[in-house]
Amino acid sequence: MQRSKPLLQWLVYAALALWLIVASLPVIWTAIISLRDYVDAFSNPVKWSAPVTFENYRALWIDREFYRNFFNTAIVTLGTVSISLTVGCLAAYALARYRGSLGFWLLLIALIFRALPHSTLLPSFFTLFDALGIRNTYFALIFVLVAINQPFTIWMLRSFFMNIPAELDEAAMVDGCSRFQAFRRVIVPVMWPGIVTTGLFSFLLAYNDFLLSSALTNAEKMTMPVAIANSISAESEALLMQGVAGAVSITLPLIVLVVIFQRQIVSGLTQGAVKG
Amino acid sequence: MLGLMAIPLLMTFYLSLRQCALEMETVTVEQSGPFGTQQIVTQRAKVDASGKTIERCEYVGLRHYLRVLGLDRDATDPPTNMGEGANATPSDPSAAGAATVAGNTASGSGKPANEFFSALRFTLTYIFATTPFVLGIGLLLALGAQQLNTRWRAVFITAALLPFIVTPVVAALSIKWLFRDNGLIPYLLSQIGVQVFWMAEAWSAQLLIVLYGVWHSVPFAFIVFFAGLQSVPQDSLEAATIDGATKFQRFRYVTVPHLMPLFVFVLLIHIMDAYRVFEPIIVLTQGAFTTSVQYLTYHILLQESNPFKASAASVLTIAGVAVLLIPLLVKTYREQRGT
Repeated sequence: MQRSKPLLQWLVYAALALWLIVASLPVIWTAIISLRDYVDAFSNPVKWSAPVTFENYRALWIDREFYRNFFNTAIVTLGTVSISLTVGCLAAYALARYRGSLGFWLLLIALIFRALPHSTLLPSFFTLFDALGIRNTYFALIFVLVAINQPFTIWMLRSFFMNIPAELDEAAMVDGCSRFQAFRRVIVPVMWPGIVTTGLFSFLLAYNDFLLSSALTNAEKMTMPVAIANSISAESEALLMQGVAGAVSITLPLIVLVVIFQRQIVSGLTQGAVKG
Repeated sequence: MLGLMAIPLLMTFYLSLRQCALEMETVTVEQSGPFGTQQIVTQRAKVDASGKTIERCEYVGLRHYLRVLGLDRDATDPPTNMGEGANATPSDPSAAGAATVAGNTASGSGKPANEFFSALRFTLTYIFATTPFVLGIGLLLALGAQQLNTRWRAVFITAALLPFIVTPVVAALSIKWLFRDNGLIPYLLSQIGVQVFWMAEAWSAQLLIVLYGVWHSVPFAFIVFFAGLQSVPQDSLEAATIDGATKFQRFRYVTVPHLMPLFVFVLLIHIMDAYRVFEPIIVLTQGAFTTSVQYLTYHILLQESNPFKASAASVLTIAGVAVLLIPLLVKTYREQRGT
């Protein structure tokens, strides 16, 4: 049936290709101009090809010590992911094995907190951390990110745990495991795909965050997006080009991530739709 | 878990009713310069016997709310001492900043600009402008991707996920560079005779933010719809074909009803996300022409360094999202109970 309408088929392909171009154009164009001098990057008429230079990257990573921001991001991201997964796994496991109608309420709470704009939590955290003198520390930022992330993590992990039959931990306990051993040695290995998916989303939240990071960190504690954003208003050409190079540097790990974990991201996105 | 979220919220509410300020005193300072001695009257923080600054906190009721809503008659911002981090700016220019933020041309003199409502207005405009496109394009892409063979599907999905995954700040910056003077898009447009300075005018800046919103949110809708299409019951489709349904009728009476819950789900999530619009605003316009509710809180907190007023703004933000979502939530709840 479908083969009989080649014209329609080609139209569909053309539309999909068009969307791919739209979707990737900003990223690709940024990547292209990051390899150029300022004069070639923003010129009128636009230059389709220009001499390739790695000067922007060198200036960013070596002169402006962007690797510091990279380490900050790495610390914050790792901290957020590991803490929210550890806490989330334990809480979600308990909730999944709890017999009662908690599911609906948990979903509701997760949903409500998902709806809250992050900035609504900011004034109080900001004031609190100021009073305690721990603003601009990794701890403060990780704490807030975990707090924001947690309802979602727990809800997501719980639905993964629900898929594992309770007979499995009972069998492990009959074989002489304690509750915790059953959890650690039997359930967690089975759960691994779910944990990876949830971890990915925690990672994206922490890695992509700008609002909280920019409010709670400054100077040497800045994460990568915050450092880049400093070049937003920069009229200086060198700074702007460093920003372009930085944008590409931030995006590259994400692209690698999508290519590797495409399946998990898709399953995580659709999870809510199927279960919710 | 609840405490982590609920305590800050309660604290926000508490803070929004208060005002802390350093006690200030007016002093006259003699300054000898090359042009003789001048007497300057300045403000400085009062210190107590031990040399510490005195901080006075008071209950101010709804004053911050009124100020954020622009209903306060005497809109003089008292200087605050909280948040004297690296971001702190002297609070004198902040009043001027507040006026420009409101995107209101009637700045400074005249009645105080209604910051919250202009922020809310743009946020709502953004939500209603992006939603149809996100749902529509997402559905069309999902239907289109169905036609691809398995291998191309994986490639397409990976590539289509890109806008959703990219760091929002970076994405907004990329779009800004694309639309900048001497950027790619203005050049291409000028080839066909259209000349627009995208960042310089209100309508184009707002259009750009909406474009960003659509670009960023479509992949999510696409993925969800695509997954939904995979689970459309094949036998119902076959039965419909046998009963003589056309292609369109099959789509209308089998596929669409099957996708309906997903529509609601995507709509709900998109409204929540769109309500939080922040990054494109700060990157593309830096608060000129457009503000969003989230940007407002952020701006008051960091640029005006007034956590109390920021708290008031965020309480209003919460109220806004509640009003926006309650009808949808109630509807979903009823449907869940009904079936």
